[in-house]
Amino acid sequence: MIKVYRSTVLDTPADRVWRDLRDFNGMANWHPSILSSRIENGQPGDKVGCVRNFQLKDGARVREKLLALSDYDYTCTSAILDSPLELSDYISSLRLFPVTEGNRCFIEWSAEFDCPLEKVAELSETVGNGLFQTGLDALKKSYGKR
Amino acid sequence: MKVSVIRSAVIDARIDEVWAALRDFNSHDRWHPAVARSRMENDLDGDVVGGVRRFSLTDGAEFREQLLRLSDREHTFSYCILDSPLPLFDYVATVRLKPVTDGGRTFWDWRSQFRAPDHRAAELEKMVGQKIYEEGFSGLRRFLAEKEGRPQPPGHREATAALATARDEYLPSKALVVASAGGPEVMTLGDVTVPAPGPRQVRIRQTAIAVNYIDIQHRRGISAGFDLPGTPGVEGVGEIIDVGDQVNGLFPGDRVAYMSRKPGSYAEIRCVDADACIPVPAGVSDIDASTLLKGVTAGLLLSRVFRAAPGATILIQAVAGGLGHLLSQWAKSMDLTVIGTVSTADKAKFSRDRGCDYPIVAADDTSATSEVMRITNGLGVDYWVHSSGARGLDAALACLSRFGHCAVIGDRNGQVMPLDVSVLKQRSLTVSAPVCFDYFDDRSNFLRLVHQLFAKIQSRTIIPAIEAFPLSQASKAHSRIENRQTMGAVVLTPGG
Repeated sequence: MIKVYRSTVLDTPADRVWRDLRDFNGMANWHPSILSSRIENGQPGDKVGCVRNFQLKDGARVREKLLALSDYDYTCTSAILDSPLELSDYISSLRLFPVTEGNRCFIEWSAEFDCPLEKVAELSETVGNGLFQTGLDALKKSYGKR
Repeated sequence: MKVSVIRSAVIDARIDEVWAALRDFNSHDRWHPAVARSRMENDLDGDVVGGVRRFSLTDGAEFREQLLRLSDREHTFSYCILDSPLPLFDYVATVRLKPVTDGGRTFWDWRSQFRAPDHRAAELEKMVGQKIYEEGFSGLRRFLAEKEGRPQPPGHREATAALATARDEYLPSKALVVASAGGPEVMTLGDVTVPAPGPRQVRIRQTAIAVNYIDIQHRRGISAGFDLPGTPGVEGVGEIIDVGDQVNGLFPGDRVAYMSRKPGSYAEIRCVDADACIPVPAGVSDIDASTLLKGVTAGLLLSRVFRAAPGATILIQAVAGGLGHLLSQWAKSMDLTVIGTVSTADKAKFSRDRGCDYPIVAADDTSATSEVMRITNGLGVDYWVHSSGARGLDAALACLSRFGHCAVIGDRNGQVMPLDVSVLKQRSLTVSAPVCFDYFDDRSNFLRLVHQLFAKIQSRTIIPAIEAFPLSQASKAHSRIENRQTMGAVVLTPGG
C-alpha cells in the first residue's frame, strides 16, 4: 500500500474554504488540471455514493465515487472507479482543520493505493505533486497563504 | 455544563522537532510559561502511559495529571486531570500534531472537554484556551528558538497586546458631563475618547447604567466625592472590550457588572478597576444586573445591618422606589411582614404586586404613624428602613417595637439629623446609619450578597421593575426621579 500526503496552511477560515470544497462536483472550479466535471445520473454533489466524472486537461477521464462527506470534521473521502493510471484501491481524503490562532485553516490531502512496484515512484509523484500539490498551490493562490 | 476547548496553531518547525519536545509528559515546565515546576510521580519517565505528573503553575496552583495515551505514530497524546484547584471536572485533553508538508512546518491541535459549573464555564473555557493552550503555543516557539539559538519571536501575549494597542489605543465614546452643579439640565452629552485600560483595569462597552439617588446629589453638588466637571454614575453593566496588564480571570467578551465609589459611569465606554467587576451569570439580563448596587444594599439591610426574625415586621419608606421594591421582595422571601409608604395609589398597587403586604399612601408623618399602629395592632414595627432624612425620624422611632431598629439610609440633603438617645432608652431601640460601600470593602461578604441577589433574580424570587431611558435622556430620567414620578429602578441604556 502506497501512501501519499501533502498539506499546507490557507489564510482563510475553515468554514469559508469548506463551503467550496464540500462540493464534490466543484473541483474543476479550483484545480488547474481538471477541465470539467459532472455528477453522473443528475445526482446532487453532496449525496454520499454519487459518482463524479472528470475530464482532465490532458484529455483523460477519471470517475470517482464519494465515500464519505463530513461537514462536522470538514472531510471528503473518495475512491477512484476508473482512470488511465495503473493503480488500484485508490482512496483519498481531503480534510480541513481550523487554526484558531489567526483564524486560518490547515488542509491535508492524503491517499492510499496499490500499484506495480516499478510504478511506485512515478505514481507517487503524479498523485503527490501533479494532483495534490498543484491543487493546494491553486488553493493557496485563491485563499492566500502565509 | 459541558465545555469544549479547541485551539490550534502552526509552528515554524518540523514535526519531529516539535514532537521531541512535546512527547515527554514531564517537559512542560521547560517550555510552558505558566508551569513553574513539574515532576513525575514514582520517578517514571515522561513517556510511560499511565504516569502522573505533579506540577505547580507560576501562580502557585497545584495540579496532578495522568497520561492516558501516547502515540509516536499519530504524534498525539491525551491526558486527564486528577487533582486541580479549579472546577474542571472529567477534564480530558488531546494534543495532536500534523506535518505541514508545504514548508516543513507543524500543525498543532490542542483540545479538551470537561464539565464546569454553569456560571464559570465561559471563564474556564477562556482560561484553558488562552492561558494554557495559546500561551503554550508561544512558549514552545520560544523554547525551540532558544534551543536553535534563533532570535526569539515575541511572546504571544506581547504580540497581541502590541496589536491591540496599535489598533484600539483610544476608542470614541459618548459621556454625560456635569460642567457646573445644578438641575437636570446641566448634564450634557459630549464626545470623548477612552484610553486603553491601564494595569488592573478593564475597558467596558456599557449596556445598562443604573441611576442612583447619589448621582442626583453629585449633580446638584451637595455630596462629596464628585469633582466638577465630571461624569456621574457609580455602577454599570456591559461587555469587556479589552483588559489591561495584571488582570486575572476576566476576558474580552465577558459580561460584567461593577460598582465603584468613583463616579463616571454615565458613558458608552469606560475603564474600570478589574477588581470591581463581577461576571453576570446566565439567566440574569444586563438590565436586571444593573440593579446591583440597590440589590446588594437590600441584602445588606436584611443581613449585616439588622437581622429580623421570620414573622417580624419591616417598614420600608418609598417602597415603590428603586431600592424599596427590591427590598420588599427580598424581605418577603425571608417571611417578613412588609409595610411600605408610597406617595400615590398607583404606587401602592405597584408595591402590593412586589412583596409589600401593606402599602400606605402617606399624606404626612402623623397619618403614617397611626396607620402603622393600626396594622401592627399597636405593637409597632420591628425594623424601620428610613430614607426621608430628618423628616419623620421622630415618628419612625415612635413606631418601633421593643428592641426595634431603625436604619437611616440615604443622605437626603446633607442635613443635620438630631437624635435624642433617651428616646432609644425607652424601648431598647437601636439606630444605624449604614453606608453601603463601607460594608462592601469586605469583599467576601459583598460577593456573598451579589450571589444571593443574582440567584434570587434567576429564580424570579426578585423581579426587578425597571424604567429605561436612552443615555441621551439622562436629564429626563433625573427629573422624573426628583419629581417622584418613577416606580422601580431607573436605568440608562447607551445606544438604546
